[in-house]
Amino acid sequence: MPRIVVDGRAIDAAGGQSVIEAARAHGIDIPHFCWHPSLSVAGSCRVCVVEVEGRGLDIACNLPATEGMQVFTDSPAVRERRREMLELTLLNHPVDCGICDKAGECTLQDYHYAHNGAASASGERKVRATKFHALSDRIVLDNERCILCSRCVRFTHEVSKSHGLGILHRGDGSLLRETGDGAFARDPYSDNVLDVCPVGALLSRSSLYRARVWYLQPTRSVCPGCARGCPVDLWHRKPEWRLNALDPAKNRAIVRVTPRDDGRPEGPWICNKGRDLAALFERPRAMQAMLHGRAVPLDVAIDAAADLIDSSKTRIALVSSWASNEELAAFKDALGERFTTFVKEDHRPLPGETIEDDFLIRADKNPNATAAAALFPVRGKPMSAAPSGQPPDLVLAWGEGFDARGLPDGARAIVLDAYGHADHARADVFIPLSIQTERAGHYTNFQGVVRAFDACFDKPASVADAQELFAALAVGARVPA
Amino acid sequence: MTKLIMTFPVTETSHTLASYRSRGGYATLERVVREMRPEDVTREVTAAGVQGRGGAAFPAGRKWSVIKLNDGQPHYLCANADEGEPGTFKDRWILENAPHLLLESMLIAAYALQVRHAFVYMRGEFDLPYRRLASAIDEATAAGLMGERILGSAFDCDVLIYRGAGSYVCGEASALLTSIEGKRGYPRNRPPRLTVRGLYQRPTVVNNVETLSNITGIVRDGAAAFRAVGTADSPGTRLVSVSGHVNRPGVHEIDLGYAFERLLDDCGGVLDGRALKAVIPGGISSKVLTGDEIMPLALDHESLAAAGSSLGSGGMIVIAEGTCMVRLLQVMLRFYHHESCGQCTPCREGMGWLHRIIDRIVAGEGRPEDIDRLYRISAANDGTTICGLGDAAGYATSGILNKFRPEFEYWIEHKRSRFDGNLVCRASS
Ligand SMILES: Cc1cc2nc3c(=O)[nH]c(=O)nc-3n(C[C@H](O)[C@H](O)[C@H](O)COP(=O)(O)O)c2cc1C
Ligand code: SF4
Ligand code: SF4
Repeated sequence: MPRIVVDGRAIDAAGGQSVIEAARAHGIDIPHFCWHPSLSVAGSCRVCVVEVEGRGLDIACNLPATEGMQVFTDSPAVRERRREMLELTLLNHPVDCGICDKAGECTLQDYHYAHNGAASASGERKVRATKFHALSDRIVLDNERCILCSRCVRFTHEVSKSHGLGILHRGDGSLLRETGDGAFARDPYSDNVLDVCPVGALLSRSSLYRARVWYLQPTRSVCPGCARGCPVDLWHRKPEWRLNALDPAKNRAIVRVTPRDDGRPEGPWICNKGRDLAALFERPRAMQAMLHGRAVPLDVAIDAAADLIDSSKTRIALVSSWASNEELAAFKDALGERFTTFVKEDHRPLPGETIEDDFLIRADKNPNATAAAALFPVRGKPMSAAPSGQPPDLVLAWGEGFDARGLPDGARAIVLDAYGHADHARADVFIPLSIQTERAGHYTNFQGVVRAFDACFDKPASVADAQELFAALAVGARVPA
Repeated sequence: MTKLIMTFPVTETSHTLASYRSRGGYATLERVVREMRPEDVTREVTAAGVQGRGGAAFPAGRKWSVIKLNDGQPHYLCANADEGEPGTFKDRWILENAPHLLLESMLIAAYALQVRHAFVYMRGEFDLPYRRLASAIDEATAAGLMGERILGSAFDCDVLIYRGAGSYVCGEASALLTSIEGKRGYPRNRPPRLTVRGLYQRPTVVNNVETLSNITGIVRDGAAAFRAVGTADSPGTRLVSVSGHVNRPGVHEIDLGYAFERLLDDCGGVLDGRALKAVIPGGISSKVLTGDEIMPLALDHESLAAAGSSLGSGGMIVIAEGTCMVRLLQVMLRFYHHESCGQCTPCREGMGWLHRIIDRIVAGEGRPEDIDRLYRISAANDGTTICGLGDAAGYATSGILNKFRPEFEYWIEHKRSRFDGNLVCRASS
């Protein structure tokens, strides 16, 4: 373990670490554009200069940390060189921050104010390049904002392996482009380039111009798109910037989804399905409790469900593989003894969706089937007969995918679901539930990793929280009238 | 004067295998594969002290010594035949007229470095050189001098030609390797050195065509014989491509240490009998010297270094009195701007900036502060770039500004060249 001294602080570098890595591991951030902890070293932006005693200036990203090295990250020579590199980086940049989605979280903007701050020293005409080049139907590229750091190119070469991006031409006429074979448009991980891009060159078409980032806040969450359960941040409007008159629905919108780097070995990446969670969450909701398709207040429906459970003999439950660990446990505590319980596969792969690959995407399109199966290990065909041999007289179906045609003859049905479906009207009791963004909880992924998600928004009053609902349905929970 | 490379009169057939053999060709290779161990060859090359002829004058033996023999990895050898440095056309002479000298030398080097596959990376515009080298490879292969079990020994080696696509930067050793790998020819950061991780991430030696062409002679005659030519610190000869305002431009082989004045005489003196204004001694990436500065100099690495320039690639551009240095710099900066690969920030942005400023000066829209700006952009490229292109452009710019600043000030003030009407040399009869 070489010991190096950075700005007077002795730190131990792990074997093979570069100076930028060693410094970062000890909380010292050396400014950089092209370097990225999960990608190979390009060494091209030249901003991460440091001064090494006895050796002069060098770039920290390609400098192996060696025993006794004295490194200065902010000496006068470093400051001047860094300022020069920033000046050159901005030379042909359009500085259109006023209309750029990245403004507020742009590394170039931050570094300019921190390390240069001066107006352009050049009076020459800037190099013009393409604005709004469609890299795919998901991403547009602004070549004038691109600083040619090649992070996005390296991502497609080293991580997603689609090799879908490259750089054309040379010198200050270099242009980032997609390859002609459509590999980028087919890359199921393509949207990660939005996050690796240090500037506003790559823009998501789904969130383009929807919000300035300083109006947004992230909420810790977990992608429910498959059994990998990637950690994500869901970005939505800050409460203090609520829109009251203009369009209040915007206050409850997920504007974008980004991976949340919790240091997992797979790296800080998610697939494009994870980017589209807003569309998944914002499908038409079930908002109204019903008895035989007739709208009733929520508490009436809950009472009716309790009555049904009390009055039936052979009960089967299909629990949701989209339920949180807490909800599953609440069900088991409250009703586990009264139901023979099976785990339901709420979602199956959609046509055209990547089923499984050797990177992140899993064939099981539910976030919590592992935890559900551990709590409810019964196997078999749930609808035909309970293990006792008796045909069931009550089926409780929790989660999406309820199909009234599958009900055994004469059985009653209690259906709990968050999203709208025509079959809900055929249930004896239908109770609408909250969705993931309206509650907190945990999922356990297929590797056994437990990840937490928090609530972004309040739950609408007309829908039930599953945990509270099960507590209300537990034996003895009701005060006899 | 000694001739180590241009040793024979060029005829219609002097490039063929038969002709080369009649001059003793491939006898050295035969002795090497029969009698020598790889390390003996490297020791001889190191003792000879032959320096790189591609630009940086790095001792070839020191480069070779980094390669670890019997380390279980494939090694590669690449001859740099990209010859892109403006003013340089001496490797072309070797490829056209002595292709077998290069091949024999490469095979000896390959033997020393335990290389199974050696490459020649050839400038895309080269046509005759390509055809000559390709047919030499065919001849050598047919004669059992190349391929498997060379001359009945256990040594196997093939030499393959890879043709470039017209990029100057692909002459930079690491970009050259990346290009052979089929990728975009971007130079690589060091470390790792190419002798540690080069072509396909394996230990690789890249040498200039002329550097390699000296190997056969060094091994045949011994290091001492090589050192007997040239100076103590610059042994051997160099091929110098002389161009510009001289009466007889062309490739000359000189002993290192040869007087510049004599070389100028050999070339028939300055065109039209004009005074010598300046010389760019080693390709445009070496710093310009005024006529007064270079006249008394001996042409060797140490004398030119002491004068603040270098022998570089041996591309000597002679500039007669009356030539406008502003326009010369404009041409050079257009070249660097066009050839910058665009990978690293200072060169990508700096080359265009330099070019636009000089264009504006020439268009009569210069400002006094432009000169300072040219200096500062040059300085911002000094030691900050991945490869030497950005640095070289900076040196070239500051070199010309240092010595010919009044011409730039004149143009900025008067919006025209100090040499208008006096630019073109009359064709000599
Ligand atoms: C931009 C650039 C272009 C170069 N072009 C050439 C070239 O055309 N031919 C060459 O031999 N070396 C060229 N070089 C030098 C090579 O990088 C390398 O140093 C050389 O081939 C090593 O061989 P040597 O040690 O035998 O000179 C170039 C270097 C740079 C930075
Ligand atoms: S688009 Fe962004 S990530 Fe890609 S090269 Fe340009 S600046 Fe870098
Ligand atoms: S110095 Fe210029 S040519 Fe060399 S790597 Fe950088 S951008 Fe490319």
